[in-house]
Order: sequence, then C-alpha cells, then structure tokens
Amino acid sequence: MDRQQLEIVSLTVLATVLKCEVSAETSRKNTPQWDSLKHIEVVFALEDELGLQFSEEDMANLDSVGNIVDTALIRHAT
Amino acid sequence: MRHNLILAGPAFRLRPIGDADAHLLLELRCNPYLNRFLHATSSSVEDQLAWLADYYERPEDYYFVVERLETGAPEGVISVYDIDFEIGSGEWGRWILKPGSLAAVESAWLIYRYSFEQLKLAQVYCRTVADNQPVVSFHDSCGIPQRRLLPGHFDFGGNRVDAVEHLIDHWAWTQISPRLEKLAQLTARRLKRG
Repeated sequence: MDRQQLEIVSLTVLATVLKCEVSAETSRKNTPQWDSLKHIEVVFALEDELGLQFSEEDMANLDSVGNIVDTALIRHAT
Repeated sequence: MRHNLILAGPAFRLRPIGDADAHLLLELRCNPYLNRFLHATSSSVEDQLAWLADYYERPEDYYFVVERLETGAPEGVISVYDIDFEIGSGEWGRWILKPGSLAAVESAWLIYRYSFEQLKLAQVYCRTVADNQPVVSFHDSCGIPQRRLLPGHFDFGGNRVDAVEHLIDHWAWTQISPRLEKLAQLTARRLKRG
C-alpha cells in the first residue's frame, strides 16, 4: 500500500470506530471521541485492515492520521 | 485507609499506595497536561506525605497504584472512596495515568471488579469535569447507560465547574464487563509481545 491508500484505510477505520467525521488532520488532541478505549479499538481494527502488527511503542504513538500512516509505512517496509 | 489489597488483571495490577509513592503522585499531579482538570496540588513531597497520612486514617477509601505486572513499573493511580455500605454506593476516581499508558481499560475494569465483586456495592459512579472530554468520552465508550450533568459540582479555587456523572449498577456491570475484559485481554497479549 502507498501513503494515499494507507490514509484512506486509516480514515475509514477511524470513522467507523469513532462514529464521527474525520479528515487527514484528525488527531487525538482535536477529537474527544478518540478516547483511551476507542484508541485500543482503533489500533486493533487498523491491524486487521492493514494486515500488520504494531509494537507497544507504536500503539502509544498512533495519535493522528499522519502518525498512523507514517508508522504503517515503516511496518510494511520491515 | 491502609489496606493490603492487590488486584491483578492480565497486564496490570492495582496495589496499595504508600509513602514511597509520594514522588509518583507529584510526577502525575504536577504534570501540566495531566493536571488540567485536577484540584491544585502542592509540589512538596512533605505535603503529599501529609495527604497520604490523612488518607490512611479515612475509612472506606481505597487508593491504588496502577503498575505493570511484568515489571512493576508504575503507570498511574486510581481509587474508590466515599463508600456508603448502607445504600451500597461508592465513587471511583483520582484516576491519573501517565501519557501513553495503555492501562486505561484494564485499570477501570479492575476498579469496577473490586467495587462490585469484593466490596459488593450495588452501584458505582464516577464524576468527571465536563470539559475533560476525552475522559467523559471514555466512560461513554464503556457503554455506561446512566449519565447526568451536575452543574457547578466541582470547586476549583472558587470557580464552580460542571461535572458529568456516569453511574453503573450491578446489572449494567454484567453487561459492560465482558467487553472491557476482552479489550484488556487483547491489550495484554500485545503488551506481552512487546
């Protein structure tokens, strides 16, 4: 998957789990629905959709669409 | 109150807070990101120890440190207090976790388990500053059905602010617990993998 595809999948997952409108600028700071419980659900849904596994360190840092895409690109490359 | 209760989940445990945790309390309560919705606290270890000394004397007040099972590393604090056994009710709170901690779901699940299964309470509530939207959302995401606004409930240095109360009774707990447990188990598996 390239960056654009990853972003589309990430936005779809976030919209589905958070049940709110999302955009490329969405982050935990500007989206109160992205709480600690939803964060866990977002991470597991992303792993299912993207076919990869995030590390513990990744899980804490997946706090914006940009960071999700950047981290997924790294995980896909390794 | 002084207690010796340890509650272990799949990846974290709650253990009694003690004087040795005064620095942890300072670290958490003096973190500007974490203390936005907390009452003002002293930055003195001595004052934290004095607060703990008062806490030890308060009956039916259970304060815990949230720590990793594997390493014992502390990740935050949580408590249940203001317990009224006559009506079977208690409040949980003083919940602070380090930024990036993945202990939120499991620590909430554990404090509910303790409240319902060991203290045998009939209902437990949590009151959150209404503007603390991520934490209000967390309680909503748990699926807690009873929610109400408490206007001007908190007093922050003379400034009254609203609270949102989430209340869960034993029946609701049986409905909510399986999902929290499943999420805690999945998170634990991930944490054990590193």
